[in-house]
Amino acid sequence: MFDEMFAAGGGPHPWCAPVASSLLGMGGAEFASLRSQAERMLLRMGVTFNVYGQTEGAERIFPFDPIPRIIDAETWQTLEAGLIQRVRALNAFVADIYGEAHILKDGLVPHDLILESSQYRRGAVGITPPGGIFITVAGIDLVRGADGRFYVLEDNARTPSGVSYVIENRLVTTRLMPAVLRASRVRSVEGYPADLLASLTELAPAGVSRPTVALLTPGPFNSAFFEHVFLSQQMGVELVEGRDLVCVDHKLWMKTVHGLRQIHVLYRRVDDDFLDPVVFRHDSMLGVAGLTAAIRAGSVTIANGIGTGVADDKAVFAYTPEMIRYYLGEHPILPIVETHLLREPEVRAMVLRDLDRFVIKPTGASGGYGVVIGPRASDAELAATRKLIEANPKDFIAQPVVSLSVHPTLVDNGEGGVAPAARHVDLRPFVIMGTRPRVLAGGLTRVALREGSLVVNSSQGGGSKDTWVLDGPC
Amino acid sequence: MLRRVANHLYWTARYLERAEWRARLVDVNYHLLVEIPAGPSGAWGAMLAITGDRDDFDSRYAADDEASVLGYYAFDEKNPSSIRSCIGFARENCSALRHRISSELWLEINTLYLDTQRWSSAMLEAVGVYGFFSELRERFYRIAGVIQTTISRDVGFDFLAIGRSLECAENISRLLDVKYHVLLPKLEDVGSPLDLSQWAALLRSASALEAYRRSHGNLIRADKVVEVLLFDASFPRAARFCIDRMGSALGRVEAAGMHSNGVDRIPSAHALGVRLRAGAADTVIESGLHEYLLGIQEDCARIGEEVSAEYLKFE
Amino acid sequence: MRFRVRHVTRFAYDREAYESHNEVRLRPRESPGQRTIGFRLEVIPRAAVIDYRDSFGNIVHALSVHEAHRELVVVADSLIERTAPRALSAPRHPFGEFLAGDALRSQLEYDFLHPSRYVPLSEPLKKLFWMARPRMNEPVVDYVCRIVGWIRGQFAYEPGATNVRSDLNQILQAGGGVCQDFAHLMIGILRLAGVPARYVSGYLAPVVDSEHRRPLGEQASHAWIEALIPDAGWIGFDPTHGARAGDHHLRVAVGRDYGDVPPLSGVYRSAGGTQTMLVSLDISESEEPASSPIDPGANQQ
Repeated sequence: MFDEMFAAGGGPHPWCAPVASSLLGMGGAEFASLRSQAERMLLRMGVTFNVYGQTEGAERIFPFDPIPRIIDAETWQTLEAGLIQRVRALNAFVADIYGEAHILKDGLVPHDLILESSQYRRGAVGITPPGGIFITVAGIDLVRGADGRFYVLEDNARTPSGVSYVIENRLVTTRLMPAVLRASRVRSVEGYPADLLASLTELAPAGVSRPTVALLTPGPFNSAFFEHVFLSQQMGVELVEGRDLVCVDHKLWMKTVHGLRQIHVLYRRVDDDFLDPVVFRHDSMLGVAGLTAAIRAGSVTIANGIGTGVADDKAVFAYTPEMIRYYLGEHPILPIVETHLLREPEVRAMVLRDLDRFVIKPTGASGGYGVVIGPRASDAELAATRKLIEANPKDFIAQPVVSLSVHPTLVDNGEGGVAPAARHVDLRPFVIMGTRPRVLAGGLTRVALREGSLVVNSSQGGGSKDTWVLDGPC
Repeated sequence: MLRRVANHLYWTARYLERAEWRARLVDVNYHLLVEIPAGPSGAWGAMLAITGDRDDFDSRYAADDEASVLGYYAFDEKNPSSIRSCIGFARENCSALRHRISSELWLEINTLYLDTQRWSSAMLEAVGVYGFFSELRERFYRIAGVIQTTISRDVGFDFLAIGRSLECAENISRLLDVKYHVLLPKLEDVGSPLDLSQWAALLRSASALEAYRRSHGNLIRADKVVEVLLFDASFPRAARFCIDRMGSALGRVEAAGMHSNGVDRIPSAHALGVRLRAGAADTVIESGLHEYLLGIQEDCARIGEEVSAEYLKFE
Repeated sequence: MRFRVRHVTRFAYDREAYESHNEVRLRPRESPGQRTIGFRLEVIPRAAVIDYRDSFGNIVHALSVHEAHRELVVVADSLIERTAPRALSAPRHPFGEFLAGDALRSQLEYDFLHPSRYVPLSEPLKKLFWMARPRMNEPVVDYVCRIVGWIRGQFAYEPGATNVRSDLNQILQAGGGVCQDFAHLMIGILRLAGVPARYVSGYLAPVVDSEHRRPLGEQASHAWIEALIPDAGWIGFDPTHGARAGDHHLRVAVGRDYGDVPPLSGVYRSAGGTQTMLVSLDISESEEPASSPIDPGANQQ
């Protein structure tokens, strides 16, 4: 597997030299101090998240590792181009699916794959957002293979989260190692909220001179509430819940002390199913009745649009390289991790023969839930998975186990001390699509804190690192 | 500002103030009775009558002795007006706004709440009634201080002020009523040392003793006490001062709106303000202090409804 | 011939309702043989109205009301021109040949060949299908015509045996149901046979005795089906009457099943209490020429 910091010869990659040499000068006590300083800062900043299924009081600091992950400028250039290309294609795909559906009519993607996708929303058919932008914010999960190349692992086009940690992590690193940071000439991430606000504003219905933007949150019990608060404060927009909103005359309004104030763009962090009790779940209290009609009336734009989850579908993922060719006429810049559709009998047979060699993922899930990692699973888990696949093959895909790259991460060395050890990492860059694309330099590097573990999700014991994209050749 | 947010701020302030006044009410009654060698029977019972809690109390307690009533007012979870319950409601309202208030304020309120969870008769006995109420007073002062120094002077701050002021005016009138109902003196007792020490105790519970002495000297007279507590323009807990401050805050809220047209949105607040500015203690005592105090409470209830309808109701 | 339809839905609330958001599918859609010459939607109290087309091409009006009200009335007035359905002179496609195109059809007509909420392809349904299954040499259209009569013979028209939320298993169990259930049942059987079938909601205009101009038959909101017949297109069949849909069947909307085309659905706020609904329908043959009092295509704002 690829080591993010050290090259084959044992010395650090050139772009990691400054950080590596300062690490080499540190001992156990300094490492421990670095870690506890970081923890204190994060606690004070209140960087928490709630784990689903636990009651209030179960807020945790999202574990942070002080050793930054570094990406050189040239590598980033390619990544950035590939990410933009990918999100443009995904946007075209979603617009097509809820419009003329040419990709289905032309037989490139099977109808049933889309119509049966748990994320497909009939209520979105015929909606045409400004600029055709359905996906305003996307988080693309990347992994680095043994060959050192970046591969796309999955797309998150619904309500991707994690960007607040990116910004907070940078704040911590700025205080922990200011000299090294300055010397390395790292690209800034603090412009993200301004970029997001600019893109959201660009999505306002035509003719509105000073659009009002708001952020819709499910409320304090949502696991990403901290991020909702953070972004609304950074962007200077109102943080609203469903109860604060009302649709009158097919326009969206918020209930303020001084009367109703119209909202033109709603950045919504509430799932489709809970957005509008008229069209979706009737029992939802998190959305606002009549929102879909207001969107159709053109008086409000929501970001991301309804039904973008269809781009997240793991089975749809297998078709993404073809989508890039079909919609953009371009060759995909970023390769995807090989994805096998278990709905196809021959493919299914092949995978079931060697089930313990694959990662099995449910097509409609997110957050890492339901994922079975073959080589790590018990016989019982594998047997259960096999049964599930045979019962509903269309609900699963298989990917080979990618040996994620590793990065030195501070861990307890069992003797009461703290030292760097190799841990698996991935990368989630964030792409914003307004009238033009804006890509956050870097993104969230997630690290699996347990030795050998490949699971990096926050909800399942992962942590994060600051990600540095260098501003020029090193 | 979202109505929901204003609503939570307003009620946080009201519940905190209510908790503080509950404490003052119980404290003054306790001290009034302590000063009487053989207290009038049913003094605690009479207090239950003033606060309207007689029936609720009787449904759960066998006798209205001091320990039971103290427990009822201080930490009975089933009593929605107990100090513990009020602090709980304040914390609940505050919790929804954690990200909007200062972390210091949240810390103060949350810590106080966690402490109330440990209150019990045993604890009260161990600490002593005097100690309990002094410590509680300190906590409330700290919270007020944190609000003053860490909350920006915006519309949110104004709603905190409106909630606190309204609750204060309503409660000071209740406090005054205690003296009249609990210890309605026989004609021959008026002006007696006992009567006067009771007035002093009342002033002390409102932290108004020094203010009284500054304005009216050492001689304590009933009409002067009423003057200080109801009609004083500068004593911060006087009903008039509170309603004036509430009026200013309401004015600022209204001015902050884009379509302010000078129309009086809370007419009852204006009306009560006028009444209190024109009030005179001796007239009020002559025509019936108790009725006057009830009138203030009714007015406050009406103001609360108008504020809610105009600015706060969102569902 | 021309039909005038006045469809009135009246909601009564025992506790005042003060915010109401609804979607209605009351405007008849165009098709060969049916044209909407005029349509008007009126809502009392005043509502904000916009319209759009759903994923099945049905015309949906989104209404929202903000005044406090004890009653909500939605009136849909339509003037429909209906021509007699043409005879089925399509080439006869035997089933054996037809099924060869199944894989492709399964993709192109996915919605109308797969199970849906009210049309589960259950074991009891499969048993029923098997009882009257198509023969390999039987032309598709003949099979469909056979089935529409056969169903009518197998099940009784029995209001009360099922309710508006019943899926087809209910009528299978009860042995009887209403037009909604007959439609779901026939759709289920056709889908099992591989024939794309969809649900139609609409009206059945009364047949008028030409001498006395009094309606002889019923007039009602009605449900029937359409089957995709090779080389003929979507053809209407009415399993409740055991026959092909005729020139008195007036289509409003189509979908996979009832769940896709409720005439009116929505949410409202009130201080509790209950809602009762009353529907009244008035269908008459219209002799009026093209200039009728209904403005073509205008919606009440």
